[in-house]
Amino acid sequence: MDARLSSLIEAAEKGDGSATEALFTALYSELHRLAKRQLARGGGVSLSVTTLLHEAYLDMAGRTGTSFPDEARFMGYAARVMRNLIINYARDRQAQKRGGLFIITSLGNENLDSAADGRELAEVGEALDRLAKLDPELAEVVDLKFFCGFSFAEIAAMRNLSERTVQRMWQKARIYLHQELRADTPV
Amino acid sequence: MPPLSPDQWRALSPYLEKALTLSQEECARWLESLRAENPDVATQVKDLLHRHEAAEREGYLKDAPFPNASPGIAGQTLGSYRLVSAIGQGGMGTVWLAERSDGRFEGRAAVKFLNVALLGRGGEERFKREGAILARLSDPNIAKLLDAGVSPSGQPYLVLEYIEGEPVDRYCEEHKLDVDARVSLFLDVLGAVAHAHANLIVHRDIKPTNVLVAKGGKVKLLDFGIAKLLEGEGHEGAATQLTREEGSALTPAYAAPEQVRGRPVTTATDVYALGVLLYILLTGQHPAGSEIQTPAELLLAIVDKDPKLPSEVVASRQEIEPSARNLPEDADKFRRQLRGDLDTIVLKALKKDPEERYASVTAMAGDLRRYLRSEPITARPDTVRYRTAKFVRRHRTAVAFAALAIIASVAGLVGTLLQARTARQQRDAAIRERDRATRITEFMASMFKVSDPYQRPGSITAREILDRSAQQIEAGLAKDPEAQAHMMYVMGEVYDSMGMTSQGKELVSKALDLQRKALGTEHVETLTSMSLLGVLLTEEGQFAEAEKVQQETLATSTRVLGPEHQVTVRSMARLASVYNMQGRNAEAVKLKRGALAIETRVLGPEHPDTLVMTNSLVSILWSQGDPALYPEAEQLQRQALEIERRVLGPEHPDTLNAMISLGVIFRRTGKYAEAEKIYRETLIIQNRVLGPEHPDTLVLRDSLATAIAKQGRYQEAEDLYRETRVAVQRIYGPNHPHTANSTYNLACIAAVQGHRDQALLLLNDAIGHGLGVNTALGMETDEDLTSLHGDPRFAALVARVKKMAAREST
Repeated sequence: MDARLSSLIEAAEKGDGSATEALFTALYSELHRLAKRQLARGGGVSLSVTTLLHEAYLDMAGRTGTSFPDEARFMGYAARVMRNLIINYARDRQAQKRGGLFIITSLGNENLDSAADGRELAEVGEALDRLAKLDPELAEVVDLKFFCGFSFAEIAAMRNLSERTVQRMWQKARIYLHQELRADTPV
Repeated sequence: MPPLSPDQWRALSPYLEKALTLSQEECARWLESLRAENPDVATQVKDLLHRHEAAEREGYLKDAPFPNASPGIAGQTLGSYRLVSAIGQGGMGTVWLAERSDGRFEGRAAVKFLNVALLGRGGEERFKREGAILARLSDPNIAKLLDAGVSPSGQPYLVLEYIEGEPVDRYCEEHKLDVDARVSLFLDVLGAVAHAHANLIVHRDIKPTNVLVAKGGKVKLLDFGIAKLLEGEGHEGAATQLTREEGSALTPAYAAPEQVRGRPVTTATDVYALGVLLYILLTGQHPAGSEIQTPAELLLAIVDKDPKLPSEVVASRQEIEPSARNLPEDADKFRRQLRGDLDTIVLKALKKDPEERYASVTAMAGDLRRYLRSEPITARPDTVRYRTAKFVRRHRTAVAFAALAIIASVAGLVGTLLQARTARQQRDAAIRERDRATRITEFMASMFKVSDPYQRPGSITAREILDRSAQQIEAGLAKDPEAQAHMMYVMGEVYDSMGMTSQGKELVSKALDLQRKALGTEHVETLTSMSLLGVLLTEEGQFAEAEKVQQETLATSTRVLGPEHQVTVRSMARLASVYNMQGRNAEAVKLKRGALAIETRVLGPEHPDTLVMTNSLVSILWSQGDPALYPEAEQLQRQALEIERRVLGPEHPDTLNAMISLGVIFRRTGKYAEAEKIYRETLIIQNRVLGPEHPDTLVLRDSLATAIAKQGRYQEAEDLYRETRVAVQRIYGPNHPHTANSTYNLACIAAVQGHRDQALLLLNDAIGHGLGVNTALGMETDEDLTSLHGDPRFAALVARVKKMAAREST
C-alpha cells in the first residue's frame, strides 16, 4: 500500500476520482491501524487527534521515501479521512457498538458523554461535502480545525497563510454550515 | 431563510469575505453604501453576518467532537487554582485557564498539563524540585511560574502567569516593525534569558511561540526550563527528538546542533536558539532555508548546514516571492541594514560549535546594543583573508579528493576496495600537488587584490574571482602568448584542483595550442601541458583519449628530454594510472615499478619524489585486490615509512601518509587492532598539524571509525562517524558525494547495531543527496547492511537506486 500512496496522491491531485477514492481508503485503514496501535500502547499519555496525524505522517513518509508529499499537503487529505473516522465512531458509539475503535476512548468516559452527537456530526459531514464542491479550502479548514483540533496558528503555518486569513476562512465556513444546518434558527 | 443555492453562495462569497475583514463600525458603513448600490445583496450579506454572530454566541462548532484537552476536569481545583476552561493544546500538553480559588489574589493563571508519564515516586519528586527552582525566576519579561505539582490522576502540571499576547514573529510582522525596533524588542528577550542564565537556568526551547508580546509591547518569555522537566533522565538525544509524540518535538526547528546530537545542553544552546529567533525576526525565514521538506532533512540541516547571510536571504526572497506574507514591506531597506554587522552577529550566534558562539547572552546583547548605537561590534565577519584562507583550505581539499572523483566514475572497477583506495589516492594526489598548491595560493592571493574594491568582500566567491581571472588572461595577456599560456596552465590546475575538470581542460587545451605555436611540440612546457591534459582527460573518464595523450607525451619526452627527465617519469606514472583505471592491472604495475626504479636510481631512495612514487605503487598493488600482492605492498610501505620518519621527521605529511597507508593494509588484512593503533598515532599528529577539521583529518577519522567498528565497538565508531559527517558537510555542502558517503557510513553503523529505522532514514538521505552510484549499487552486498535484508523499505531503496543507475547509464 505504501508505495502506492504517493502515486495515488499525485493522481488524486490531477482529478482522478477513483484514485481519490483509493487514497482515502488507504489513509483510512492506515489511520485506523495507528489509532489501534496507540490504544494498545496505552499508558498514561492521552493521544490527541493532531498527534495521531503527525505520527501517521511521519510513519508513512518514513516508509515511502522522499517522494511522499509534504506534511501540510498530507494533512489536508488525512484531515478529511479523520472526519469520516470520527463521524463513524460517534455513530457506532450511539448504536452501542463499542467494537474496534479507538484512541479517543483513551480520553476517558466522562468525555464520551459530552462528545458530539453522532447524527449531527454526520450532517456537518454532509454539509461539508457540499461546501467542498463550492470552496474546498474552506471545507479543509473545518476538517483541520473542528475535526482534528488544529489551532489557527497551526493551520496558518501549514497553508502558508496568515492566522487572520485562516480565522476568516473558518468564520465563513461556519456561516455556511450554520445556514445549511440551522436554517430555522432565528438569527 | 432557506439555505442558499450554490450560485447564491458563490455570488455572496466575495462580499462576505470583505465584510469579515472589517470592524463593526466599518462594516455598518460599508453595508449602507452597498445597500444603496444593491439592496438585495446587502440584505443577504447582513443576514449571513447575523448568522456569524449567532454562531459565535452559540459557540457553534467551537468544541471539537473529541477535544484534545483532558476531559472532564473543568471546575476541579489543583492546589489553590480552579480550572476554568481549556484554552489550548500545545506541543507539550494541554493548557487550561485557571483562577485563584482562595480569592487571595485577583487574576488568572494558565495551568499546563504535561504529556509525560513521571517515572515512579522519584520522578514526581524531581519534578516538584525542579519546579521549585524555576519558580524562583523573577524577571518582568519572564512569565512567572507560580506552582508545580502532580494532579490526583498522576499528571504533572505547572501553574504559570497568564499572558495574553501574540508570538513575537507575528507581532513584528503585523506591526511592521523596522529593523531597529525588532532588535530592541529582541534585546528585551535577551535580558530575560540573561537573568535566567544568571540563576543557572537554561531555557532549552526558545521559539517564537514561547516569546509572546503582550498588549503594550511588553515581551514575555514562557516555559523557562520546562523542556528539561519534560525530559526524563537518560533519554535525551536525536532519537528521542525524532520519535517523541509531542508536536513540538516532531519538528525541532529551534533545536541547536548539540541538542539534535544528544550532547550536553548549556547556555550556549539558548544562544543558538536566540540566533534562530533573531534570524526569523529579521528575514522571515528559518536559517535552515526554505527547501527543507522532512524532519530528517531539518535535523541534518541543523547539524550540518551553514545558514545563508540574513541580508542575502531577504534579497533572494525579495526576488523570488516579492509578495510573501512575512517579508518586510521595505525589504530593500531591511537588506541594507542587515548587511554587515547584523549578518555577523546573527551568524555568530548560529555557529555549529557552541564554543564559537557568543560566550554569553550578555555578550550578544552587547553587540546588538553597539549595532544600535552604530559603534563597532566585537564579532568578526568572515574577512577577505578569512575567505582566502578558507578557499585555499577548500582548494587543498579539492586536490585531495580529485582522485576520488575519478574512482567514483569508474564503475565496477574498485568494488569493495573503494574506501581503502580513496584514502590512498587522495593522499597521493595531495602530496603530488603540494608544490602546485603553494604556487596557486600565491596566485589566488594576487587575484583577490585585483577584485573590485567597492564590492563587499562577502559577495565575491572564489569561483567568481577565478572565472574573472580566466577572462583577464585572455584579454590582458594577449600580447605575450608564452606568459598567457603559462597562466592558462596554472589556471587549468586551479580549476582541476577545484574539481571543475571541463573548465580546466578548456584552459589547458588553449595553453597547449599557444605553446605548440610559440614553443613547438617538443618544448618542455608544451609537454608539461600535454601531460596535464592527460590527467584531465583521465578525470573525465576519457581513458582512451587520455592514454593516447599520455603515451605521446611519454614517447616525445623520452626521446627529447631523456628517459630520466622529470616530465618523462611523471607521464609514465600518469599513464600507469590510466591503465589502472582501465583495469589493465599488470601493465599498470609494470609501468609504476619502472617509474619507481628510475626515481630510485636518479634521485636516490630517500628523495621525496621517490617516496611519493613508492606510495603510488603501493596504491596500485593494493588496488588489484590480489592478496598475493599484499606482502609486496606492505613491505614497500614499511620501508617508505621507515625512511620518511628518519629523513622527513614524524610530522611530515608524507610520513603521515605512509602511516595511513599501512593502516589501510592492516585493515584490509584483518589486523584491526594494529590498524586502529597506527590510525590513532596518526590522528594525534594530524590534529595538531592540520587541525581537527582538515579534510585529511576527516578522512582519517572515518578510517579509524571503521577500524573501531570492525572490533565491535559500535557506539564509539558511530560517535566518530557522526562528528566527521558534520564537518564534511560543512565543507562540501549537503549535496556532495562525500557528504552522502559520510551519511552512508552512519547508516551502516546504525544497521550493524540493528537500528533499522535510523539506518533506512540515513540511507534514504544519502541516496537523495548524491551518493556515488557504486556505493549505492553495492548496498545489497554490503555486509554492514545485512540486518536490513528482508525489510520492504530496504528493498524499495535498492529498487530506487537501480532505477537511478539505469537512468544515468542511458
